[in-house]
Amino acid sequence: MTDEQVMEAVKNGDLQRASVLFDRYNKRLFNFLAKMTMDRDLAEDLTQNVFLRLIRYRNSYKDGMRFQSWIYQVARNVFSDHYQANKNMKNKFTDIEKVGDSFSDSSEGFHKEEQEHLLQKSMALLNDEQRELLVLTRFQHMKYEEVAELMDTTVANIKVKVHRAIGKLREHYFQLEKI
Amino acid sequence: MNIDEWENRIIDYIDGNLEGEGRIALEQELAKREAVFHLYQQYLVVIEAMDRSRELEPSTRLKASFEKTIKEEMLRKPEGKVISIQPVFFRAAAAIALVVSGVAIGFWITKNQQQQQEMLALRKEVEATKDLMQSMLQNEGSASQRLQGVTVALQMEKADDDVVNALVKAMNEDANSNVRLAALDALSKFQAEPAVRKALVKSLSTQKDPIVQIALIQLMVRMKEKGVVKELERLVEDDQNMKAVKDEAYKGLLKLS
Repeated sequence: MTDEQVMEAVKNGDLQRASVLFDRYNKRLFNFLAKMTMDRDLAEDLTQNVFLRLIRYRNSYKDGMRFQSWIYQVARNVFSDHYQANKNMKNKFTDIEKVGDSFSDSSEGFHKEEQEHLLQKSMALLNDEQRELLVLTRFQHMKYEEVAELMDTTVANIKVKVHRAIGKLREHYFQLEKI
Repeated sequence: MNIDEWENRIIDYIDGNLEGEGRIALEQELAKREAVFHLYQQYLVVIEAMDRSRELEPSTRLKASFEKTIKEEMLRKPEGKVISIQPVFFRAAAAIALVVSGVAIGFWITKNQQQQQEMLALRKEVEATKDLMQSMLQNEGSASQRLQGVTVALQMEKADDDVVNALVKAMNEDANSNVRLAALDALSKFQAEPAVRKALVKSLSTQKDPIVQIALIQLMVRMKEKGVVKELERLVEDDQNMKAVKDEAYKGLLKLS
């Protein structure tokens, strides 16, 4: 069954079917939110919230709509609502030195681990829009067309923005490397 | 092309999206300009770091809490469906449509009530007229009153069972010939009604007043009522009937046969 067919069944009251969508999407959404928030525990809470909204607001899903776009839009709203409710908290309390700690894995080689830390710290320095674009296209491997649909804009516009974001990431990465 | 302008091409090149002349031009630039090659190396590091970045595994807590959510939701009472209309323009349009339809329904209800009141008044008037007619027809002491009662019936648009029965009774039984004739005349107005037609046919066999008999025969001919042929034959053959009645019945037979 396609995601859309499963979601239509959920919408029609077969709530147990939501487990199928959870299995297909929980890891992707958790990683999306983890990279957006730079906080693993918070990402889990927000992922939980996304699936709660899937159940509660199932009637807002329009038949025929691409499920992936819809659920990612829900995730974006959850992320945005969280930071609206805790305005400026990220700017005040995100400690750039600690970013990446929650993503560390001691089984990795030292060099790779260092690179991962540096990458996460550079990502944290991007603005939300740039970070989101890179998370979706580079980490979640979404096509430009899918991101354009999600953000309701053109593919060309997404491509230009993604290139700019990579450029910014490169600047931050090599500035941090010098420190 | 300055160094910044090579950046887009470098990203496309690393992504494998640069073909043809653009690719050749960049490769030549990478070979001869160190600054561009340095930029390429930096992009390569960053892009490869992103490609290599591992996915995190959510804890089992997530799945457990999701299953709990489903169970809770299944126990919740179904709520009224909330219809959310986007964007704001459509919401505003929906609000206006709601107000307009509200006003229209209001008007319709008012108008409907008004019509119902008018219908009620009319019905009362008809009832009053009926009562008046019946009381006049029942006035045994005054033939002119009974005649007036028939006139009231004549003014009515429609005749219900009560009116028809009162007129039939007057036609068949009233002591005054003028009243009987007037009742027949009034009934002829409602001849399209099956009950009236039936009453008129039946009356032909019981009617003893020659004037009414003749008027009835003439009416049957006008109505082209072929069901009275046998009765007309009986009238022709019955010697107790006046010659004028028999002649009229005979004429009727010729026209209806």
